Amino acid sequence: MLAVLPAVGNAQEAVRNDTVVAMDEVVVRGVLSDQTRQIKDFYVANKAATTEDILARMPEVTMVRRGSYGSEPLLRTYNSGQVSVLIDGMRIHGACTDKMDPVTVYVEPQNLKGINIQTSGVAQVGSNVGGTVDLRLREPVCGCDRSVSGAVSSGYQSAAGYFYESGQLSFSKERWAVRTNATYRMAGDYRAGGGGVVANSRYEKMNAGLSALYKLTDSWNMKADFLYDDGYFIGYPALPMDVGYAAARIASLSLMKWKPEARWERMQYKVYGNTVYHLMDDTHRPNVAMHMDMPGRSTTLGAFGEASLRLGASRQLSLRGDFSATDLYASMTMYQPGQPDMYMLTWPDNRTIQSGVAATYTVRPDTLSSIIVSTRIDQFSSFLTTQDARDQLTVLQEHPDQSVNRLLKNLSFAYSRDLSEHFKTVATVAYAERMPTQSELYGFYLFNAFDNYDYIGRTDLKTENAFKGDVSLSYSTSDVLVSMTAFASRVYNYIMGVYEPTWGTMTIGALGVKRYANMGYGNMAGAEAAFVWKAPRATQVVSTFRYNYGTDDKGTPLPLINPFRNISSVRKKTGRWTAQLDAEMAVAQDRVNVAAREVRTPGFFKGNIRLAYATMYRLTAFTIEGGCENLFDATYREHTDWGRVYRPGRNIYVQVNCSF
Amino acid sequence: MKSFNKISKTLTILLLATSLFSCKKNDNNVTTKPDPTVGYIKLASGYADGAATKVDVYAKDSAFTGYNKLYIALTDSVTNEYVERAEISLMPEMNMATMSHAAPYERPASSMAQNMLFPCSVSFIMSSMGGTWTLGVSVTNLNNSRSGKAKLSIHVKDPVEARMFSFVSPVDSAKYFVGLVPGAKTIVGANDLELVVYRKMSMMSFPADSSLTISFVPTMPSMGHGSPNNVDPVHTSNGHYKGKVNYTMTGTWKLAIKISKGATVIDSAHYFDFTF
Repeated sequence: MLAVLPAVGNAQEAVRNDTVVAMDEVVVRGVLSDQTRQIKDFYVANKAATTEDILARMPEVTMVRRGSYGSEPLLRTYNSGQVSVLIDGMRIHGACTDKMDPVTVYVEPQNLKGINIQTSGVAQVGSNVGGTVDLRLREPVCGCDRSVSGAVSSGYQSAAGYFYESGQLSFSKERWAVRTNATYRMAGDYRAGGGGVVANSRYEKMNAGLSALYKLTDSWNMKADFLYDDGYFIGYPALPMDVGYAAARIASLSLMKWKPEARWERMQYKVYGNTVYHLMDDTHRPNVAMHMDMPGRSTTLGAFGEASLRLGASRQLSLRGDFSATDLYASMTMYQPGQPDMYMLTWPDNRTIQSGVAATYTVRPDTLSSIIVSTRIDQFSSFLTTQDARDQLTVLQEHPDQSVNRLLKNLSFAYSRDLSEHFKTVATVAYAERMPTQSELYGFYLFNAFDNYDYIGRTDLKTENAFKGDVSLSYSTSDVLVSMTAFASRVYNYIMGVYEPTWGTMTIGALGVKRYANMGYGNMAGAEAAFVWKAPRATQVVSTFRYNYGTDDKGTPLPLINPFRNISSVRKKTGRWTAQLDAEMAVAQDRVNVAAREVRTPGFFKGNIRLAYATMYRLTAFTIEGGCENLFDATYREHTDWGRVYRPGRNIYVQVNCSF
Repeated sequence: MKSFNKISKTLTILLLATSLFSCKKNDNNVTTKPDPTVGYIKLASGYADGAATKVDVYAKDSAFTGYNKLYIALTDSVTNEYVERAEISLMPEMNMATMSHAAPYERPASSMAQNMLFPCSVSFIMSSMGGTWTLGVSVTNLNNSRSGKAKLSIHVKDPVEARMFSFVSPVDSAKYFVGLVPGAKTIVGANDLELVVYRKMSMMSFPADSSLTISFVPTMPSMGHGSPNNVDPVHTSNGHYKGKVNYTMTGTWKLAIKISKGATVIDSAHYFDFTF
């Protein structure tokens, strides 16, 4: 949905019904750019917004929130094992067994070129059943008028005593360009709607990026990227522990070709490596039954190549081949005075080697319609890498020395047709498979604070396979865009934790042990809609809707399914002033999964007001923004928030930006 | 340039050292047989006089209250060579102030040594605190067909974590000794659990008992949890019961043992602790 917005920029993605939110106005061209900018302003509600704040406003995205930072993005009704989150096509695995480190925390919005969200059809970048979020990094630009440019921002928010500082500096020459950026965020414990302070919700983090581009020829570029991210204390009020320290280092080297009208129009080759280190911390919690250390590390090395081949005016072929190897390790050491240390592996050392090929063939039989066939095949192999890991898993399995090998097959067809000058429709059907996650395969007494159970993996899990379909209809004129998408899918071998009554818990206070198992199937459906209106007198209206529905094969509601939600905004520009009113509302969610100990979530209404003043002094642009989020101090939470922790209350913010 | 010279000098020295080392290795072709007792502790030593044979008793650990796996080495006192064919029988004896008693034991299963040693076992049912342990070793040296007996004194200490317990059955009033057979290094994972059961017939006779049913529950007392997929020990042979115990983490584990005879629980008051 919202698909037609970037249609001019990349026809293929549009037809495949993806959402592309471009952060950089430069990359969006064409007649709809004004509306695209509106959408961007709509998603990026304030300049201090994090990548997850932006994602949270997108109708396809559900955020699983455990603290004020580090929420996990999910798509539609799909859970975290079913969705891939990538940075510039690179695979990155979190190092936390409790998913406290979603990949989205490593890219700051000022370093984002766009967010590609693929929900329908087959993912070209990796096998999954739920879709892909790909955070595309900004690139340095050669040959700019000014060889040095940059921006600094500073802001404060009242609800968490939150400071935000960021800077960005770019150098641009004829043949090379460098872009650097750094962001520092520090927030205290926030005040929830209605007044209560949420303990252990503070956080502090530092992010920096460096990107260098060198023009080899007119059409070939070489690019090196490095991302650095350190979190020093990140509170998770919904979990029994916080993050003491988290570090990610992400590096890549790319070779890119872009030659319009050439037979091989677009090519990209990338080698990359990344490592994430994660240390949990319970020393700031009262009444800890037993102090423990829980470190984890993930390391991924990979490479991929992509190419788009023009086979004539109406046919195009896109190819991709990729390879990656991920090493994971997490352990837990428990300390009891007077007792020897108790040590165990929570992710026994394991390695996953993945290689895949994908192809998309696009054909336009006439000027009004196009057909896209996409396919992808992945070979996965996961195995334990140390004797300690194999020894430990003898507790659960007969053959911990055997590797888990799975071949994943994916296929989709999309048909798009312009029904009239203003109406367009797209229909997609797909078959997709996904690999069980490392936690689902090897997890060893992973405590899940959502339902209070210890989770244990198993290596004989079958791959989930999904049959998916969706239909969208859009209406667009130069002033109005209306789009609607309805989707449905059935996921066979749906992987869920199943209560094992005879197994004892490990975690003190846990209710029992659940072991991952393939269920019959899960049924999911839902709809999204968007309305964008470029009203008279420089007024813009954006409104998005979503509804999700999911059950298992016995008709029981699936957990973590958000209810109907609407976000609307009205924006008016007068001279140098911009004013915006936002409203967010959700109805109550009564369809809960009792086995996952979900409870009803009441509906809520939340209003925001935003003001901005922009001015220029010589070549420097200044923007001062201010506003109030949760104007009425509503006490609310969303259904996918863990631990029934209320969201921030009334939050007054100011933000000064200066770019040159 | 200077540092480069330094590096090349270091390299030369290293290369020389390597070649010296490899020469030495080549010269060492005239090898004596490897010592079979490497890694063992000598518990006692004596002579079986009539057999002209020296008797050395080895173990992996110093002797403790419980099931001790012992390794007897016999040496011809004339040629000083290992004797690899011999009939051996054991007679462990505890001498206390007013009385004496024996202990359960397993004599070597074969008259042929394994790697020059004769494996056997003695289950010391108390420590040397209460008296003096001696181990009588009767040897018939099959090389010279001569027999003799050595009487060796062995010091037995109580282990930090008990490895044997005894109880009196309410069913037949018999006294049973349950010992833990030391296994491979304890791991986080599945471990063999081997117990041995002896019944006291008299002060001098402790035959193996195969008639009991054993179950157990492992727990980690400091956390209050157990572990899944354990396998209760079942009788294999000679009073040995074999099962599996799963440890999910390091630390101190407590194995509560329950022993039944037929349908009647005859003991559930004892446990073994494991710390690793």
